[in-house]
Amino acid sequence: MNGEDKDPRFLEIDSVTKKYGDFVALSDVSFSIRSGEIFGYIGPNGSGKTTTIKVLVGLLTDFEGDVRFQGRSIRNNRMMINKELGYLPQNIGFQEWRTVDHALTTFGRLSGISERELDSHIRRALERVGILDLRRKKINQLSGGTIQKVGMAQAILHQPSVLILDEPMAGLDPTARFEFKRIFQELRKEGSTIFFSSHILNDVQDLADQIGFLAYGRLGYLGSMAEIEERVRVPKQIEFVLGTGSGPWTDPGPGDGVEMVGNPEPGRYIVCLSPKADADLVIDAILRDMLAKGCKVHKIAPIVPSLEDIYINYLARVKV
Amino acid sequence: MNLGLLFRDELKGFYKSKVMLTLWVGLPVLTLIIYFASPTNQGISLASFTAVIIGSIGGMLSAAMLVSSIISEKSRHVYDIFIIRPVKRSDIVLSKFLATYVCVTTAGIIALVIGILFDLVRNGSLQGDILSVSFNALIMAASMTAIACSAGVLIGFLANSMLTGIILVLYGANQLSVVAALPGLLLPNEPLLPLIPGIAVTVVLLAITIKMFDRKQL
Repeated sequence: MNGEDKDPRFLEIDSVTKKYGDFVALSDVSFSIRSGEIFGYIGPNGSGKTTTIKVLVGLLTDFEGDVRFQGRSIRNNRMMINKELGYLPQNIGFQEWRTVDHALTTFGRLSGISERELDSHIRRALERVGILDLRRKKINQLSGGTIQKVGMAQAILHQPSVLILDEPMAGLDPTARFEFKRIFQELRKEGSTIFFSSHILNDVQDLADQIGFLAYGRLGYLGSMAEIEERVRVPKQIEFVLGTGSGPWTDPGPGDGVEMVGNPEPGRYIVCLSPKADADLVIDAILRDMLAKGCKVHKIAPIVPSLEDIYINYLARVKV
Repeated sequence: MNLGLLFRDELKGFYKSKVMLTLWVGLPVLTLIIYFASPTNQGISLASFTAVIIGSIGGMLSAAMLVSSIISEKSRHVYDIFIIRPVKRSDIVLSKFLATYVCVTTAGIIALVIGILFDLVRNGSLQGDILSVSFNALIMAASMTAIACSAGVLIGFLANSMLTGIILVLYGANQLSVVAALPGLLLPNEPLLPLIPGIAVTVVLLAITIKMFDRKQL
């Protein structure tokens, strides 16, 4: 699927507000997701991430606004849309007596997979999450991480066109997280659209084509990583590292284009640029000063803000 | 189609988790133990005694089974991954009701058949109108169990704590199931009469549960 084929409004959340009594859990949240893209949804605890997801999958139906899937409102087309939906809740629960195979058989049949095709679907889903050998095991004998994989298998079993995943990688060890990321990327290649919430910002940064920041029930920022970097404007920083044997640099302190200079360890300087500074001019001036003072410069590099830097900066701004 | 699938699934759950075995073996065994433990019972037939036992504990047993399983599954968010599929919420409610009802009623029938066979072997023939008494008792027990089951489903989806659920079963479901016996007090010679309040109350309670579960924000 190339960019032109992508439906820009594959999944639309239109002015959704959800209240619990007087408490506003979601306030006028709107965004749309293109088909075949991965959307990462970030927000602190209690910000409304799970509420958004429950609205999307139809567990919450009492809300203002609308959600549309390929232009069709979920209010009138729930059954049809549910066929296209895969969902992994934050805390997945299975009935205690079920084996992995039995759970997937039931969910597969309920999702409309025919008896004839069921076995191949189950096999493919379990192979994908790497637990085919546990097919006959009782679910309550499995570890938390493995149950999460069974949860992922039930979500992808019927090859849904959209996957909605609530904290899918919470509680997974690094290897399992890596496997899940690989699965997400494979599914994206196959054309699936994925919406997932996460606290693990590195995972969102690695995977998401589009990111939404939610805080206090409001959608703060929305866009690609580059767009969000641009909008949040984490202070630009340049790192200067001096070579071994170089003398120390006595920095001139705040000046033209420089807000502050940090010296976290000997021979390493972090220069924070003022918002309107021209980075090239500042680097040139500092480099000249260092050389004039007899320093040997080993490395000059911009510090690229991580999603975590952006997120913390964003939360600090919106905090009441 | 989904109702049938969910119903079979629930039955399979009862089978796998040994609930079926416990009920089908447990109820007749319990009846025999109580019957032989008290010498005062020896004067009446085992079939009649079994009918009384089924009527008195069948309803409470089924309501308690339903309440405990529904509250436990709700607290573990088991229904979430059913509801997001193309499944009507009413199918989930009805499958729970039907599976438990079938399971408990079958246990009652097994116990009653054992009682009748025991009487037959002991006496060489069935005395008096034991078959019609057993049949009447079975109709009564089936009606009471249906009411208790539907009340159990309602309480299960309504209550959030197990303790509250069980208290409501004891106070509500068990007492409500007695409604099935009321017409018999007025017209004792109409054995099928308990079916009318049994079916009516069950339908009303299930309709309330379905409406409530449909609107439930999970």
